[in-house]
Amino acid sequence: MFVEFKASFVKDLRSYVRYPAWVVGEFISTPLWFFFFAIGVTLFAPATASSSRAGGLAFFFFGFVFIILFSTSVWGVGQSIRNEQTAGTLEQFFLAPVNRATLIVGRWARVFLTDAVIITYTTLLLYLLGDGLVTLLHPVSFLLSLGLYEIALIGFGLFIAALTMRIKSYNTLSNLVFFGFMILTGALFPVTVIPMPFRYLSLVIPFTYFNDLMRHAALGSPTIFPGTPEFVVAVLLSISMLLVGFFTFNEIEKEARFRGSIGTS
Amino acid sequence: MRTRSGLKATFGALAAIFWKAIKHYTRYPGGFVIYLIMPFLFSILIFGMGQFVGGGNAASNFAVRTGTTNFVVYEILGSAVWMTSWVVVEDVGVALRDEQMKGTLEQNFLAPISRFTLLVGMSLADVVITSVIFLVVVGATMAVVLPSGFLNIFQAFLTLLIGLVPMFGIGFLFAGFVIKFKEPYVFTQLINLIFATLTGTYYPVTFLPYWVQFMSGVLPQTYVIEDMRRIVLADQTLVSLYGSVFILLTLALAYPVIGYAIFRQLERRASVTGEFSKY
Repeated sequence: MFVEFKASFVKDLRSYVRYPAWVVGEFISTPLWFFFFAIGVTLFAPATASSSRAGGLAFFFFGFVFIILFSTSVWGVGQSIRNEQTAGTLEQFFLAPVNRATLIVGRWARVFLTDAVIITYTTLLLYLLGDGLVTLLHPVSFLLSLGLYEIALIGFGLFIAALTMRIKSYNTLSNLVFFGFMILTGALFPVTVIPMPFRYLSLVIPFTYFNDLMRHAALGSPTIFPGTPEFVVAVLLSISMLLVGFFTFNEIEKEARFRGSIGTS
Repeated sequence: MRTRSGLKATFGALAAIFWKAIKHYTRYPGGFVIYLIMPFLFSILIFGMGQFVGGGNAASNFAVRTGTTNFVVYEILGSAVWMTSWVVVEDVGVALRDEQMKGTLEQNFLAPISRFTLLVGMSLADVVITSVIFLVVVGATMAVVLPSGFLNIFQAFLTLLIGLVPMFGIGFLFAGFVIKFKEPYVFTQLINLIFATLTGTYYPVTFLPYWVQFMSGVLPQTYVIEDMRRIVLADQTLVSLYGSVFILLTLALAYPVIGYAIFRQLERRASVTGEFSKY
């Protein structure tokens, strides 16, 4: 199992570094997205209270961490099947005597590694800018929440990857999911800002709670529900999402084999 | 016998390329729907973040800095122009790469038409696509948020049409780079983000450092966005904005000439080194 995982990880890492333009592009665009939004938001901020503005930007920063990792799940992990499909190598991969999910998990590990590097680089950049943009009050709690979030992301990535075997216009789906979740999960503003009928949608999306707990651990911001019950719910959601992801992936793969639609792009 | 040269042949070729691009859009409508939704999603994000930072005074803080309390129209105008430049960069820049990937670029280049006709044909389809995006996104917003100023949308649309010409020139430039460097997706993503940041999509460009404002000044979208905001939100007319319209017209002349010259240069080199079919 470990050998399979390692092979998948190394394969993905090799194809990543083979296109240096992608690497450079990611390193430039990630902080640029942050500055782009931050300047736009500054228009709404009070002219004098720099502390509240810095607090807001610190809040956005963790939202960006959340978004970077989430985009990994949607475009990185979820798209792995689609990439193999369009490259015409999916059948070869599925014929190999390895667990199908290994491809996904191997890709997740590579993407997590590069995400971690990009987040660290952006954090350093913002730290150098000062103004209290980078704060981490409870590192252990933060890492625990991050761990739960990552487990859920693998499950979600598996789910999305499975869908790409059924839905070929993947980009439309991924864009809608990504931007919809960016708004509804409170990534860049608290869910309390969302008007009431829509806030119910936010509250049924599991990612809202991982985001909330990560931010609570980092900045001490109030949680949506009392801390401990919310953490327990997040643990259950995280494990459930992983299981649902594996189950969906296996079922859709079986169906695709039956219909002969695995390699159709 | 079919005419292979002359004005009629050129129009025939333009029409064929135009319909091919339109068919492609209608065959994959999901991408087009995304272009219609994205301006609203980005504006909601900015607005939600702004409400959080500014609280109850968010709108008045916004008015102090921009001169208008109508942040919805302000942001949507920026978003809509950003989407149109996104379409141009993606379509004109990436279209040749798609042909390259499908193995049909050589067939296109071997057809008895000039490269300029090919690029203009691709751009013509984008005039329609971007016009629909603009009119739907801005029209819907104006109808709901600012119905009294709805008629101003036509002057704003005219500004967009003038601004599209230099944007196509930028698209020609990318088309050349794509033939040479083969990596359009990361390139276009980065360029779209840089354009959004530099052209004042969600803020006045005066918020940017001076040296960045200089770069904003050479991008047509900066003038298009600024002029549209003045027309729609400050009731100015295109005539009163003659200064920036003149700059736009100058850019409309300069960018296509420069873009096409660079495209031809890179394309000639690729024909010598045999790079057309490489991917």
